[in-house]
Amino acid sequence: MATSMRGLTQFIADIRGARVRELEEKRINKEMANIRKRFKDGNLDGYQKKKYVAKVIFTYILGYKVDVGHMEAVNLISSQKYSEKQIGYLAVTLLMHENSDFLRLVVNSIRKDLNENNEIYNCLALHAIANVGSQEMAEALAEDVHRLLISPTSQSFVRKKAALTLLRLYRKYPEVIPAAEWALRIVSIMDDMDLGVVICVTSLVMALAQDHLDAYAVCYQKAVDRLQRLVVEHEYSATYAYYKVPSPWLQVKLLRLLQYYPPTEDPTLKNVLYEVLKTVMNNCAEPSRNVQHNNAQHAILFEAIGLAIHLDTNSPLVNTATVLLARFISSKETNVRYLGLDTMAHLAARADHLDAIKRHQGTIILSLRDKDISVRRRALDLLYSMCDVDNSELVVGELLRYLKVADYGLREEMVLKIAILTEKYAGTYKWYVDTILELLSAAGDHVGDEVWYRVVQIVTNTEDLQPYAARVVFEYLKSPSSHESLVKVGGYILGEYGHLIANDPGYSPIEQFQVLHSKSQFCMAPTRSLLLSTYIKWVNVFPEIKPQLVNVFERYRHVLDVDLQQRACEFYALATRADDDELLQNVCEEIPPFPPRESALLGRLNRKHSDTEDKRTWIHGGKEANLERSSTLRTRKPTLGDVNGTGPSKPEISTDITSSLMGLDLTSSPTGNNAPGMHTDFVSAPASLLAEKGIPRLTMNTNVDRWFNKLIYTPDGVLYEDVQIQIGIKSRYHGHIGQLAVYIGNKISAPLTSFTATLLVEETDALSASFAKIAPSMIAPRTQTQQVIHVECKKPFSNPPILSVSFLAGAHQTIAIRLPIVVTKFIEQVKLGQAEFFERWKLIGGPPREAQSIFPIALNEAGHVDTTKQRQVVAGSAFSVLEGVDPNPTNIVAAGILHMSEDGKVGCLMRLEPNREAKLCRITVRSTSEVIAAEVQKLIQKPLSADAPS
Amino acid sequence: MINAVLIFNTSGVPRLTKFYTPPQQSAQTLVQKIFSLISTRQASLCNFLDAPELESFLNQSSDDGEKLRVVYRNYATLYFVFVVDSAESELGILDLIQVLVESLDRAFENVCELDLVFHFDEVHHILSEIIQGGLVLETNVEEIDNAGECSESSRFADAAKARKDSYASSNPLSLGAGVVGSRGTSIQTPLGWLTGKLTGVGAR
Repeated sequence: MATSMRGLTQFIADIRGARVRELEEKRINKEMANIRKRFKDGNLDGYQKKKYVAKVIFTYILGYKVDVGHMEAVNLISSQKYSEKQIGYLAVTLLMHENSDFLRLVVNSIRKDLNENNEIYNCLALHAIANVGSQEMAEALAEDVHRLLISPTSQSFVRKKAALTLLRLYRKYPEVIPAAEWALRIVSIMDDMDLGVVICVTSLVMALAQDHLDAYAVCYQKAVDRLQRLVVEHEYSATYAYYKVPSPWLQVKLLRLLQYYPPTEDPTLKNVLYEVLKTVMNNCAEPSRNVQHNNAQHAILFEAIGLAIHLDTNSPLVNTATVLLARFISSKETNVRYLGLDTMAHLAARADHLDAIKRHQGTIILSLRDKDISVRRRALDLLYSMCDVDNSELVVGELLRYLKVADYGLREEMVLKIAILTEKYAGTYKWYVDTILELLSAAGDHVGDEVWYRVVQIVTNTEDLQPYAARVVFEYLKSPSSHESLVKVGGYILGEYGHLIANDPGYSPIEQFQVLHSKSQFCMAPTRSLLLSTYIKWVNVFPEIKPQLVNVFERYRHVLDVDLQQRACEFYALATRADDDELLQNVCEEIPPFPPRESALLGRLNRKHSDTEDKRTWIHGGKEANLERSSTLRTRKPTLGDVNGTGPSKPEISTDITSSLMGLDLTSSPTGNNAPGMHTDFVSAPASLLAEKGIPRLTMNTNVDRWFNKLIYTPDGVLYEDVQIQIGIKSRYHGHIGQLAVYIGNKISAPLTSFTATLLVEETDALSASFAKIAPSMIAPRTQTQQVIHVECKKPFSNPPILSVSFLAGAHQTIAIRLPIVVTKFIEQVKLGQAEFFERWKLIGGPPREAQSIFPIALNEAGHVDTTKQRQVVAGSAFSVLEGVDPNPTNIVAAGILHMSEDGKVGCLMRLEPNREAKLCRITVRSTSEVIAAEVQKLIQKPLSADAPS
Repeated sequence: MINAVLIFNTSGVPRLTKFYTPPQQSAQTLVQKIFSLISTRQASLCNFLDAPELESFLNQSSDDGEKLRVVYRNYATLYFVFVVDSAESELGILDLIQVLVESLDRAFENVCELDLVFHFDEVHHILSEIIQGGLVLETNVEEIDNAGECSESSRFADAAKARKDSYASSNPLSLGAGVVGSRGTSIQTPLGWLTGKLTGVGAR
């Protein structure tokens, strides 16, 4: 650039040569005048425009205001020469802000560059959007940016930029980006081979996931997997090692991302995560001498400790972390001390008990006197967080002592925090009053009004405290100089409760009046008016000093301040009424207690923390503060129940339809294809709603149903198959425990990348299902991967878990299917004789512990009832078919015991009575639990019914 | 996210100012303010500065007060200053400053303050390869270097040579005897921030 623009070099050199600022300004003014003239004359070629715009930019960088060159910059962007285009973009990003009118003019040029085949132009355009993207640009270009991000033909460096550009647009104008619908596609890029791309996409996911926790839930698994690969398996390209640490930025980002989610329940993920965190902590055991290496290690370590705290404050990892932190806060490195204190504050804010931290209280208090103000601030935060009932007197005392020498910048926050701690952990009211009044006298200027309002509130509401408070405040007022806040508190408290101590020696009315009135002359008008109110109260209770008080009113009747004057006049009139007048007494009635209300102090402090962009994962303050905060956060989190809100009504509707069509008397239990009551919901709910909750849309076709129905009564078989992928199942059950091996085969000749498998269990308290290990992120061509799922049945359930599999094969695809995990799988056979069977059958009795229905059946080729299949289904559902119980040989009688870990064992008896002529079959299930009877009846009937696809 | 990247020298003269969120007041006052805050800090103090004083300068509106921190590093005559919010890891930012410096060093072969003055467009270009819209884009020095070169190759053939020429041509002027005052003197020392030396005193 420089060679081709001699004029610019000359210009820069001239400015640098200028000895004094005036010469520099002169040179610049001359140049700007020249440029203005040139631009006005027009007819400039690309090179000249570029040169002048570059000069304008340089001037701007020097800090001068520039008002020319915008239009020329816009023109340069559409130039076909890279060097001109680049200067144009630079000018646009530097000189213009997002609301600039000129940006309208560049939207089209930018779109053109986005669609260009030249990646470098793409990048320039993306970069410009990321810097100055306006709403108009967001609306016009978000789609294009997204396309560049997901297009398989995009180069890595384009995708990186596209990811961050999208993020910028989302931050500015969230409504233009359908975040939830793009979720799976975007998360899938976290598996990219290029770590640079992963970093950028992780940043994007982090921002989106905060607002759409459920939609982006898959990223949890991805992040854990990536961490494991980086930290434990050391799987990364060597160029991404920064001083031998594998991409610290990515690790930090991932660890942070995980903190936005509630701790995972999945045992496999948890184990992997703990292993990762342990490795990170061990890595830091031996500090190296290289500063950069240490820096990077520590960056990861601090984030890892944060995550460990987030996951479980009682885990052994946190103990290790506490030991490390204790070492850090007395480290020689200031940076480490600073972060050590910061992280310890996080721990204090979350931990159940603070003993481990309190052991280092001495060191922390010493840190308040660190030579670095940044460290002092962190120490203050930590002390605030670790304060509780036991150490409050010590901590607050320490803070008060420090307050007197603290930096001015720190004082206001300190005062607020001391006031809150004092109120929150006050053991005795006496201590509260002492401390707060000392606070008022020590740091008067920095005391916000909230603090003294609160004192008044508490004293008014606590009767026992009133005489003591009055006495103490009187003592404070006696000192020669007291701060105005103190005078206000004094005025209020003595006015209300001065009479309570008036009989004690040294506190007589006249003494009270003299002390208070001596302060009046140093106070502002509002304080003086408060004092006037005090005096009128005294007129009521202390008739002996009425002359002095009336005298004061009299004098104030002539002051210039309107408020004061008005009060004085009114009070004067009130005070000089006849003695038997009751008005004064009524006016000066004692103040009633305030209604209990939340401390305004906390509100003020929390306001300082309210978040705009990336949310903090914790706030300063004790455990309760954090709990409270997380519960408010959680309330807005949608639950699965919301989606299924319409659930119960749907099966009934379809029941009505079936019954009216067939004219059969059916029990109230739902029948037919809609057995898992949720199917309808998942299919009919709008896509965006499902995406928002992170619920996959179930893949539906007749094959899927047929495969599923078959697997209900067989242990092995195909669950899903299409041209690209095949999913097979092998299962084993024992009691309430089951194990499923899911075989996922890639049928095409290209690898399936960014492979993800997740399980969704709707009734988490009744059924648990989890993968034994995280699925690999890629399936090689024509190979198969096996995933083991552990299942445990705790209570009766009716919704089988959903397996959702997504992968990239050209386009991004998601398959979501129900796994054949149903109640009958947890049944074990039981052998019963005829007598025993009927005894129990009668014992259980009819409805509601009986479920019965009649359904159509198909006959086999020979025109007979397909007894073999019926037996197969019943036996496949793990019932033992009992021979010789029913006199009719075509009828099937069976028994089984359902095993559940929480609800124990439940016996189940059933009878199947097919009727060849009517092509109908009656099924009767009796069980000691009505829920189970209905559920088993549905499950057995489903594959047998003629309606079932076969 | 990163709100601003500032580079200024030990006399407070800005060499690069890049804002990812528009500042409330003028960039100039902000640089002065930050400079006055950190220039008084000794080398042994930490590289972070809680900046409640600066909040009014940076925040769009005062009531959504995200806590901002200043992370800075001093290399020879230059301060590299990042203003970040609480979502960024402080040490991570320190590392990032190191990456920025190493990238500049690669691009300019022994970078010195003069390079930042004469090649402001290229410095911005390199920065844009590392940070985009306030977020980390790339941290791999090789990649940053490549990206710089590949766009350079489309610009003109011998970028490095051109750069040297311009450096030579500007040198006599800038280092001339007539230059006095702080604005001139600071530039005469090449930074010598070779990667190897960074682990030493200069890296603090």
